[in-house]
Amino acid sequence: MNALAVARRQLAGTHVVDEWGLDPDWVSLASSAAGLRWSLAVGGGEHLPSRGPTLVVVNNRPLAASLAVALIGIRRETGRVLRIVGIPDVAPIGPVLRRLGGVLHHPQEVAGLLRAGQVPAIPCRAEWRLNGRVGRVDAELVGAAIRTSAPVIPVAVLASPWGRHARVEIGPAVRAKRRRGPLATAELADAARAAVQRLVDEATPPGARWLV
Amino acid sequence: MTEWVKRVLITGMGSELGSHVASRLEAEPWVGAITGIDVDPPRRRLRRATFHRIEPLDRRRTLELITRADPHVLVHAAVWEPNARADPATAERWTAAAAVNMLGAAVECRSLEGIVARSGITVYGRGRGDPSRPDEAVPPAPTTPFGHSLLHVERTAVEAGATAGVPVAIVRVAPVLGPHVPSPLGRMLRLPAVPMSLLADPSFSVLGHEDAARAIVAAAHRLPDGPVNVVADGAVTISQAARLGSRWPLPLIGPEWPVARLLAAGLGSPIPPHVLEIVHRGRTADGSRAAEVLGVAPQRTTVHVIQALYEWATVLHLRPTEAAA
Repeated sequence: MNALAVARRQLAGTHVVDEWGLDPDWVSLASSAAGLRWSLAVGGGEHLPSRGPTLVVVNNRPLAASLAVALIGIRRETGRVLRIVGIPDVAPIGPVLRRLGGVLHHPQEVAGLLRAGQVPAIPCRAEWRLNGRVGRVDAELVGAAIRTSAPVIPVAVLASPWGRHARVEIGPAVRAKRRRGPLATAELADAARAAVQRLVDEATPPGARWLV
Repeated sequence: MTEWVKRVLITGMGSELGSHVASRLEAEPWVGAITGIDVDPPRRRLRRATFHRIEPLDRRRTLELITRADPHVLVHAAVWEPNARADPATAERWTAAAAVNMLGAAVECRSLEGIVARSGITVYGRGRGDPSRPDEAVPPAPTTPFGHSLLHVERTAVEAGATAGVPVAIVRVAPVLGPHVPSPLGRMLRLPAVPMSLLADPSFSVLGHEDAARAIVAAAHRLPDGPVNVVADGAVTISQAARLGSRWPLPLIGPEWPVARLLAAGLGSPIPPHVLEIVHRGRTADGSRAAEVLGVAPQRTTVHVIQALYEWATVLHLRPTEAAA
């Protein structure tokens, strides 16, 4: 990434900002800065479709910045930018996170991103305890994937607040029982959570539950 | 297949959008007589359309004209954006009166087959936590006076359509911009220094006036029932738009906004609440259904529309070749 070219684009107004506020230049800068903080390893990149609408469900450890790690790792591995769902709608933090791809916690936001062929990422409920358990998934948000027939991809992040090494593991698309109506979204949310939990369990080294 | 030639009545024909719609309808093979009403005359030369200058508050003349014209399709473009062609109070009064008088009169027409109402994505509002790119399924929740005016137009049109038993196409356009379109957003973006929110600078989408006219004409032909968003692809931020026009963005935090608005008003560019909302909260909508419902999609992207806003025809000074007799 050429910082001078970025600065020139920003000054001339020729940079790109999408309808939700994402600026690819900001993501590039953040990724470069994150390279100084984390040494990332990404596995299972082949499971994420290279194009088209895709819903990602990722485990959430706020202190370990797991969502930022997932965003940077997946962009580096596949070139696709995760749109993290759940940013606050308050200035100035909200607008800054929008530039980095964040969107509001609203089913319409997720559905709109999927219709536009993007990759919204729903964090599991934040887990503050170091027990290796993955939080539950908001079924209302996952429902957008059913309406748009988008695949649901589980992603596990293994990182710690103080360590330099982090790992992002991408799993195969979640398969849920064929149901209709409200039960379909509930079962898909449960299946997504179980898939993320399975990835976490498989990727965690023995005796290192504090990583997740 | 031969189509019936239909009579079309355009309210708000004197606006840039109304004039464009009339001009395009004149070229449509399915359109017969075109009648227009507005308080201002059309902004371009029309060959076939008949124009009637009637005040929006003049219910008697409005009813008389519309029932005499007996249109098959009523295109209701009589919407006054605050600080575009009228001051905010007049714009609100005229928009409300025009909706009731003109759409109400249309119900009396025996030949009426459908109504097309011009609305805007401002009707969705931008409250805290609301989706930033709503589609047509999101219920309108306006947060500005202009948004409330548009919602009143929509509700009146739906009521008129239900009474007459005809479909009502509600065309929710993004802020319509063009080099010659009277628009408070366009005027603000052309100031030498463009006020912007330092803390937010959100993205917004617009729509070229030609694309807006094309969408309304398509709606008049197809007469779909229900709302449809028409939004140009892509988005820009205020600071980005200013730089595209070689203007300087003027970052403001909060307390200085009233002063900036006063200064802008003094420079001939008042900033009404719905434009201020764009500056602080952004405004876009999902217009992906337009192509399917109307059969047309905007041809110009938001960036192209903004660039066109700053383009002015070059003035060529011609030297006289021979002395006048």
